[in-house]
Amino acid sequence: MFKSYTFKYIYILLLTGLMGVTTLYAQDFNHKFKLSNATPYVKEAVILTLDLNQTNHNVVLFFHFTLKKSPHYTFHRLSAKERGENIAAKVHYEYLIYPLHKGKVPLQFELIQKSTTEENLAYSFSGDRDNVKGLTTVNTSITLTPLTLHVKPLPKGTMLVGDFNLTQTFTKHHATAYEPLPFQVTLQGLGYSPLLENLYPNQDNFTLFKERPIVKVVNSLEGTRSTVTYPMALSHTKSFTLPPLNIHAFNPKTKQSYTLKVEKQHFTVETVAVKSLVDKIDYPTPLKSDWSWLSSFLSYLVVFIAGYFSAISLKWRGKSVATPQHPLKEKIKACKEKKQLLQLLMATDSKAYSQSIEKLESSLYENSKITLNTVKAELLKGLE
Amino acid sequence: MNTKIRQLKQELSKAVIGQETMIEGLLIGLLCDGHILVEGVPGLAKTTTINAFSKVFGLDFKRIQFTPDLLPSDIIGAQIYNPKDHSFSIKKGPLFTHLLLADEINRAPAKVQSALLEVMQERQITIADETFKLPSAFLVMATQNPIEQEGVYALPEAQLDRFMMKIVVQHNSEEEELEIMRKGANKSFTEVQKVLDIEELKSLQKEVESVHIDKELEQYIIHLISATREPKKFHLNTLANSIMFGVSPRASIDLYKASKAKAFLRGKTFVSPADIGYVVHDVLRHRIVLSYEARAKGILVDDVISTIVETLPIP
Repeated sequence: MFKSYTFKYIYILLLTGLMGVTTLYAQDFNHKFKLSNATPYVKEAVILTLDLNQTNHNVVLFFHFTLKKSPHYTFHRLSAKERGENIAAKVHYEYLIYPLHKGKVPLQFELIQKSTTEENLAYSFSGDRDNVKGLTTVNTSITLTPLTLHVKPLPKGTMLVGDFNLTQTFTKHHATAYEPLPFQVTLQGLGYSPLLENLYPNQDNFTLFKERPIVKVVNSLEGTRSTVTYPMALSHTKSFTLPPLNIHAFNPKTKQSYTLKVEKQHFTVETVAVKSLVDKIDYPTPLKSDWSWLSSFLSYLVVFIAGYFSAISLKWRGKSVATPQHPLKEKIKACKEKKQLLQLLMATDSKAYSQSIEKLESSLYENSKITLNTVKAELLKGLE
Repeated sequence: MNTKIRQLKQELSKAVIGQETMIEGLLIGLLCDGHILVEGVPGLAKTTTINAFSKVFGLDFKRIQFTPDLLPSDIIGAQIYNPKDHSFSIKKGPLFTHLLLADEINRAPAKVQSALLEVMQERQITIADETFKLPSAFLVMATQNPIEQEGVYALPEAQLDRFMMKIVVQHNSEEEELEIMRKGANKSFTEVQKVLDIEELKSLQKEVESVHIDKELEQYIIHLISATREPKKFHLNTLANSIMFGVSPRASIDLYKASKAKAFLRGKTFVSPADIGYVVHDVLRHRIVLSYEARAKGILVDDVISTIVETLPIP
């Protein structure tokens, strides 16, 4: 009797030590972890807070802190509040953690200390939109001792953890064959997000249609407040009964198990007389043979042949087309006066026809006896 | 033809084979105190030509390769602080020369182009509070590469107007190419000798000024210029939609001077309509601004000028 009390006392002391304030000191700052509950149940909300206080006021400090991802727990950062000045930084982090299995769950951390000087900080602010100046920091990775959660197991058969209530909506219980019978189940409350893979298992006596559940989640220091709606529909050819739904839940705050229920539902389905349907046969034989593919094929063939011969005809036509005359030839032939020809040559390329230009000039202004036709003939010969 | 000009061309032909258009253009520029813009692909002897010119005339020659990071002080010069005696001294830039090759002018940003073009116009350079007059023979031959359009700063029309002529340099003929190839491979290009000095150049410039131009031809030049501004007035209705802006009064001055120089180079003492015809494309080509419609239709400025020359009757 005495021994068992002694062990219990030691165990409680240890737990109190873990739940209490854990304070460690680094060189430039100190940090303080606080856990709301070090012995939670599986999937019970735990709040972790971390306070970082700068102690070395000769440097400017920035921090990057996060929990390491792990298959043993999930977490959400609730807030990261920075207070104080550049040389006296105070950062307060709040995390919401859910342990995922019983036993020891180590919480591992990643902390990077970024130290810089006030000059560097001022320089980084001196840039503008078009001239961004980066902040130079010396980054040091700080190793923080992991905290351990001693996670208690849930009662057997527990599907949900938290304080939830269930509402169901069945819009109708009467339908004709194959007509969908929509309904939805909503789970609402505070606790680990109530996402269940198969709320209703598939059964042979009816067809169950499921959609992805609609999830609304708000994380806070209280925990996670969720509303999860499962939209579903049923269908069958004859009347059937939907079996009752029992979801076993556990509330870690009251340490009580409870059951969320949906009573069994009966649906009346009117069968359809097959004779009254217009289409009574599956895969009926076609009324007539479809030869439309042949007409399509022939039309494509005609278009192809037409295109082919059009291309060939261009080649034939091309042979008969005479090479066009040099445009200058026509203009030279059309000139009736020496001045007109001189003007044309000046406009065209005076350097290329400088000899002819000189002849025309001497004829016009120096009484040389060269005729217009001679110059034209020379020019036309040169153009051939 | 003037004997000096003949000698000069002979001497130039030792270094430059073909490229008569460019040589003629540069000669006209020198004789009229104008500047030349040359458009052509690389390797068409632009540097060689202007270098040969400097040797033939015994003039200074400098070359600036325009790049996007060039600054105005790189070309005009700057005031430099001497820490030994705590004084400032002027370091003159490459613009202080007679002949300047501004290679690939459109590669430099607008501020450098403006600095150069201002000097071309004013013929004086101000560094700090000191103004320097440039030597009397001052010719800028600027080049543009028509192939590349990426990363270039096209010269604005107002600045292009400062150039007397825009010469489009073409590749040489096959015969000329063969000669270049042989001479280039054997390194047998002979050294160019000095033929003229600055005083002789000035006397040639005076001879050009004295070339006679008839009043009717003066009127013809005015008609050519006006036709670019008001085509409809000269029954050039087809051109009315093609021209956005006609040429400036600088064009008429330059066409007048270039026609005289061309006549002089042809060994004449008077200007004939053909002399105007020889230079009209080079003088007007860079000054006419085509409309969007014309550019969309693929109409060239040279076509517009040809239509004007073909339509306006010569005296």
